[in-house]
Amino acid sequence: MRRSLTIGACVVAAAIASAARASAGASEQDLANLSIEQLAQIEVRSASKTDEPLSSAPAALYVITGDEILSSGMDSLPEALRLAPNLQVQQIDASNYAISARGFNGIESSNKLLVLIDGRSVYAPLASAVYWNLHWPMLEDIQQIEVISGPGGTLFGPNAVNGVINITTRDARDTLGTTARGTAGATERTAAIQQGFALGGSGAVRLYGNWHDSEGLPAGPGVDTEDDYRGWQAGFRSDFGDDVDHVTVQGDLFRTDAETLPGDGAKGQNLLARWSHAISPRTSVEIQSYYDYFKRDFLLAEESVETLDTEAQVNLTRGPNDIVAGVGLRTTRDRFINNLNAFQLDPTSRRLWTYNLFLQDRLNITPTVELIAGTKVERSSFTGWEVLPNLRLAWQPNDRTLLWAAASRAVRTPSRIDRELEAEIGGIPFLAQSPNFQSEDLIALEAGYRGQPSSKITFSINGFLNFYRDLRTTEFVNGVFQLLNNREGKTYGVEAWGTAQVTPWWRLSLGAATLWKDLHVKEGHFDFIPRNVVGNDPNWQAKAQSQFDITRRLQLTLDGRAVGRIKQIGANPEVPSYVELGGRLAYVLNDQLELYVAGRNMLHSDHLENNDLNAQLAKRSIYGGIRVHF
Amino acid sequence: MRRIRAILPAIAVMVSLAASGPAHADVSASDVKAAFLPRFARYVTWPPSALPGGADPFVLCVVGDDPFGNELDSAARTQSVDGRRIVVRRLGSADSAGSCQIAYVSGSRSQAIAQSLASLRGKPVLTVTDARNGGQRGIIHFTVVNGRVRFFIDDADAERRGLKISSRLLALAISVKQ
Repeated sequence: MRRSLTIGACVVAAAIASAARASAGASEQDLANLSIEQLAQIEVRSASKTDEPLSSAPAALYVITGDEILSSGMDSLPEALRLAPNLQVQQIDASNYAISARGFNGIESSNKLLVLIDGRSVYAPLASAVYWNLHWPMLEDIQQIEVISGPGGTLFGPNAVNGVINITTRDARDTLGTTARGTAGATERTAAIQQGFALGGSGAVRLYGNWHDSEGLPAGPGVDTEDDYRGWQAGFRSDFGDDVDHVTVQGDLFRTDAETLPGDGAKGQNLLARWSHAISPRTSVEIQSYYDYFKRDFLLAEESVETLDTEAQVNLTRGPNDIVAGVGLRTTRDRFINNLNAFQLDPTSRRLWTYNLFLQDRLNITPTVELIAGTKVERSSFTGWEVLPNLRLAWQPNDRTLLWAAASRAVRTPSRIDRELEAEIGGIPFLAQSPNFQSEDLIALEAGYRGQPSSKITFSINGFLNFYRDLRTTEFVNGVFQLLNNREGKTYGVEAWGTAQVTPWWRLSLGAATLWKDLHVKEGHFDFIPRNVVGNDPNWQAKAQSQFDITRRLQLTLDGRAVGRIKQIGANPEVPSYVELGGRLAYVLNDQLELYVAGRNMLHSDHLENNDLNAQLAKRSIYGGIRVHF
Repeated sequence: MRRIRAILPAIAVMVSLAASGPAHADVSASDVKAAFLPRFARYVTWPPSALPGGADPFVLCVVGDDPFGNELDSAARTQSVDGRRIVVRRLGSADSAGSCQIAYVSGSRSQAIAQSLASLRGKPVLTVTDARNGGQRGIIHFTVVNGRVRFFIDDADAERRGLKISSRLLALAISVKQ
């Protein structure tokens, strides 16, 4: 095999020169005269550097590919998510981020976005939050990140209200060999290594370790927090099987260390197994189970959640119907102990159970029109029944054009904080529990177009109109504060993005999102802390990414973003609009070695992104990197 | 394209650098894939029982939606295997694809790729899939890397079906599963 590869390499090398000549004005007529080696060297016009399906999923979907993440030079998961024009990313300090789609962004308010890593939910149910600084997958292993703005309740369940981020890592069989990376700059450093092995005839496993270290950021308008942050994550993924049976087993282990107080930081581990099996050409099943545990210690407060989750799903094709049906069972055991201030959860620890059933049919009404109708029914031992239906209509007049419209319901189910947080100050009740706190409810109307108007351009545009009910309010009732459901209203906006392969060596992507909010408290009620619910959102943001292959070895990627102003709310300051630029210049020495210089927030020494009083300034950061593969 | 270059003097330096870089053609990925498909026949050996009888033509099937149209037919006309012509057949599902020598499996509304692959499991058919259509892989799996059409090869699967893939084709693969 090695010998034939060497021969092949010589053949290819010899072919490049002739292919170069042959393809100077190649038409498909000329392709007939080329050898297979020459065919493999022809540059083709394609809107995306790497193939991705023009998915027919009728939803506002943006896909970040693994290659895009690496060429952007971003060195953490939340920074990589800035590539999605339908996500709003706010850096709060060296490791904390607030991320949302379609509004409600903020530390506490960004609770309507569900995030999955290889099918495992990382939405922390106790406080309805995603702790972005607990997740450090090796970015080299990410296959793609699907970002869906808009509700995904029918397939993904509660809390997929304003969006879903679905991160998938590469099949272990595609990451054989050794890959190592190191980056170092004035204020942050990373190091990672992985090793992939073949196992038997049809399987492989990879082991990885990823270390990160960030120094604290300068203070914003509020307090200077001790936000230095470092940690490591290690894990494995193994894949076995063939077209008919595919088994994946994977797990991760992490620890992080924060400077706030000695002992502050987080730790956790998870283990997941998934089996998919094609029973017949028209029937397949998938079963997945995982265990997940994390514990955070922060300023005398301690939070931990242990989750066990099992799901089974069956896909059936019967005549014009594509049916997907599933059942799920999840149990969590949480614990929250607060020695920092008076706010306590009673009881401090609880085990919750949720069960769900879902059914969705994708019906071909005509060869070009599809109707998708489905619902999830979920019952939680804590909050009772929820019904999460959606109805979607897709028209695909040709394989370059998709027009769609959808109506859906989604909810954010009450967290333990919403219902069971209480406080007494000096023996006097300050905050009372809210056993009747209900789900926050969304009815969403959406429509969009996605297509390839020419072979070199892909383009998407989506509009949404969201009606919210029963959003949280903090009210003063009978001499005590209480959390109630008396805010309602609507939001609407437009998201659009496109990519053009302008020339074979230059790819340009542009994207923008707008948001209008009209949320108000019901008559006769007053909300004391509106910001924690409605969030702090700019009305618009725009992004541009440009990838140049200057030569075969030299690549330049530039990422620009402009973000609108966030208005002052009470004591929380205005966040001025800003324009920032990141990028990477890479020299690819050969298949084994790549050297690069990357930077982010390069236009200003620092800027504010979030109006929380603890928010620090996002800072210019420039670092050098090296990546080897053998 | 020349006009685009002319209106971008600011990056003229890059243009001149790129001009000395790799060659490129104004062909689409699907044209190149269509050119590859009939050529695979020459670099794969089928068990005699899996070949068409007598001098009957060699059969290249598209199972599911056809992304190629006439390009594939004209590419097939330029190739022959051991004196046999290559004909293209388009099938809605894999149920009758057992008599194809090569099956490009693209999936359709009536049959997903995984299901088509499952029904061809173990048969002496060179299954070909495309990253453009999703992650399910046949023996050969097309993808576009750095603007070029390349592929993965699952030689272990080929061997189980009694197919022998030549080292010249294996050498072109991004990776070979053995």
